[in-house]
Amino acid sequence: MTLLITHAFLRLTGALLAVVLSSLMALFSSVGVVSGANPEFYDVPFANNQWKIGRRVDESKLRYCIDRRNPDWELAAEIVETVAGALLLEPQQYVVNSDIVDEDITRIYAIMLEHCDIHMGFKLLPGHYAEWITLTRSYYQAEYVFVTADPALLKLADLAPSRAIGPELGTSAHIRLVSYVKALPANDRWPIYPMGTSELMLKSLLDGTIDVGLVWAPTFWAKKRQDPTYEKIHVIDPSPLPPTSLGVGALLLADKVFLRTAFDEAIAALIKDGTIDGILKKFNFPARIKP
Amino acid sequence: MSKIQKMLLTSAMAFGLSAGFAAAEGNLIDNLSTVTDDMLLNPSDGDWLMWRRTYDGWGYSPLTEINKDNVGDLRLAWAWGMSPGGRTQETPLVHDGVMYVMNSSHLIQALDASDGTLIWEYQYDRPDDASQNGVRSKAIYGDNLIIATRDARLVSINAKTGQENWNKQVSDYKKGYSFSSGPIVANGVIVQGTTGCSKAQPGGCFITGHNVDTGAEIWRVHTIAQSGEDGNSWNGVPLASRHGGSAWITGSYDPDTNLILIGVGQPYPWNLEMAGLAPLSSDPNLNNDALYTNATLAIDANTGVVEWHHQYLPTDGLDLDYVYERILIDSEFNGEVRKQVVTIGKIGIIESVDRTNGDWLWAKETSRQNVVLSWDKTTGEKTINPDVIPVAGESTFNCPADPGAHAWQPAAYSPLTKALYIPTIEFCSNTTVNSLDPGEIYTGGGRQTYSRVEHPDGDSNIGQVRAISMADQSEMWQYRQRAPITSSTLPTGGGVVFVGSMDRKFLAFDDTTGEMLWSSGKLSNALESFPISYSAGGKQYVAIMANHKSGLGRLSTITPEIQLPPDNPATLYVFALPD
Repeated sequence: MTLLITHAFLRLTGALLAVVLSSLMALFSSVGVVSGANPEFYDVPFANNQWKIGRRVDESKLRYCIDRRNPDWELAAEIVETVAGALLLEPQQYVVNSDIVDEDITRIYAIMLEHCDIHMGFKLLPGHYAEWITLTRSYYQAEYVFVTADPALLKLADLAPSRAIGPELGTSAHIRLVSYVKALPANDRWPIYPMGTSELMLKSLLDGTIDVGLVWAPTFWAKKRQDPTYEKIHVIDPSPLPPTSLGVGALLLADKVFLRTAFDEAIAALIKDGTIDGILKKFNFPARIKP
Repeated sequence: MSKIQKMLLTSAMAFGLSAGFAAAEGNLIDNLSTVTDDMLLNPSDGDWLMWRRTYDGWGYSPLTEINKDNVGDLRLAWAWGMSPGGRTQETPLVHDGVMYVMNSSHLIQALDASDGTLIWEYQYDRPDDASQNGVRSKAIYGDNLIIATRDARLVSINAKTGQENWNKQVSDYKKGYSFSSGPIVANGVIVQGTTGCSKAQPGGCFITGHNVDTGAEIWRVHTIAQSGEDGNSWNGVPLASRHGGSAWITGSYDPDTNLILIGVGQPYPWNLEMAGLAPLSSDPNLNNDALYTNATLAIDANTGVVEWHHQYLPTDGLDLDYVYERILIDSEFNGEVRKQVVTIGKIGIIESVDRTNGDWLWAKETSRQNVVLSWDKTTGEKTINPDVIPVAGESTFNCPADPGAHAWQPAAYSPLTKALYIPTIEFCSNTTVNSLDPGEIYTGGGRQTYSRVEHPDGDSNIGQVRAISMADQSEMWQYRQRAPITSSTLPTGGGVVFVGSMDRKFLAFDDTTGEMLWSSGKLSNALESFPISYSAGGKQYVAIMANHKSGLGRLSTITPEIQLPPDNPATLYVFALPD
């Protein structure tokens, strides 16, 4: 730990020293998120036994969560550990271990109350988060990609209208695809078969239910690492559609404003000095930094 | 919560409390009679044996001790604090003076219904990663309670001792399957609807029939058409791309035909374009009705054969379920007595179907709405306002919004007045399609954002109680108030209709005039549950659970002046006349 802090400290610029101080202030001034003054309704979830979750006492740590169900959990851990080092905080990891397939984001409330100050791996979608949530700046940008198991198919523009596209259901890229397709003459439209999960979508490509899938590139990257069967699937040129790109950052409870600011400034510095890009390259991860 | 399943017998006999207490409670529970099929068909006036008390779904209590003349004297008899955390819309059951309640924590308790004394309790070991909310209802049959759980299990518990008989996993809660309402036991078969079939469950939800002695599954009915002509109603998307059709409200039962009449919810996600239901395919053999969403299924209780279905709102892109109450009424229509099944969708339109064959009979509009422009007077087929259908890139204005002009707190029917008493709400919404892809896992939600507002032509009275004659569908009376009406209605043999509201009040009305006869003081929380009435020790009681469920809580954005307590307490209130 000492070595980690020393190493990080040597890399700090004068600007980051301010970040360190402000983050420490934030941690020491952190208060419980449950206010007794205002009722909690639909907007603020309820964590079971939340009154039994006391205030944290060890404020020299950066408690962070990663979720193994996220495709980027390994590199996210490395990024947040690097940030913690830059902020002279001891990283404390909590791994969300669950095999629940699909959860409402309100579930994160109890996890945050009990286990972490910051949760890695959330797409930055303006206006899509409740008021009890705040988000950091992005530490990388990634795209949704069109994929196929047809070796002859290299670009979406070559897909015949009779062949089906299976986007992962409800994503920004799905909406963009639907908006494009409905503007086409009826006979030129691709059938769109929304797929509830990326797993189902990739399997449907292999069994021929769909001809082209639309998937978050990091997810496709992770699935190929887990299952060599998916090596048969390749990315194609999205034209005539432009690529759908989203930033990915970390999530905090809304009162963690100072920590968020510190994290943001640390990420900016680590992007500037090439540290984040180095982590992405180390994992051969399909994403890029956005200064 | 502990991973070790525990069973606590806290009766006086088990824990050696006072001899007097032991004798009294022991006698009460020892004298509990076996619930037979005949009892379920013709329950004692003082019992409340299923969600809506009787198979016909009336939600009516024939008790008369509390009546129009004395309801103003109603007093709190006793109260019971329920476990904190989660949310509950509990419907207590009462049999032979014993009340059974289910806490949101899945703690099941038997109470002396006359004074709230605890007799026994049983803690179901719900997994921590399952929903922490309660389940709306339960069943009692033979000597056992039948409980549905949030992690999609059915559990049989001995009604006298609280001991578990069997425990059956019906589906995998980790894929989203869940039970939010409990079963009905019909002709010796447990019938249970499944919910949560949104994203990770291609092929939609199902309704299952189970052996009452073992929980073994006897039959399964899929709520989404799987193949054939009905299967062509999904715009050509394969089964793997069909989602929704949750059966999240307990059905009714017609013993004459042995049919379960049960509702099915909307397709998912709500937005038609995202669901693959729009734009409509150019293939003439396909349509996008999305059967059997927003329909009544008439299912043989013993075989699971679907005898008929009727779809009220095809191609629903607004989360306007037709999944609620199924009320069985024999009433004259066009000069002929028809066996009707009456329901009310979220749009607030009452609709009646012949429950022997599924023929549509009539409809009656209640709250202000702009979704349905008209309907065919013979078939009930609706003309939908195209301007309210949400599409990507635009905001649309629709009345009502997602919780509905009529929510899942059901209407009730009184045979005294031959009227339906309906809780309704008037409000609208600016609706925007949105993606919801914040994380790989945290993607729940309907993918439309509802910004709720008062109705532009409204009078700021969001809540109403409406009495509609089933003889001619005329409105007998209407009560309006600012606070949303949020509980189901409870008409009684005393000519009183009880209902609860979001501003923590329990109200009583004259069933023929709509005059308010009584109001409780402010209770601990909003009333979003299902009031019941029963007798214990020869005395009539009225009970309701106070708790703030998230669904109608969405209305709090248009009634910010209604303050509710933090941490969402849950309390069971029981009222009676003074001795």
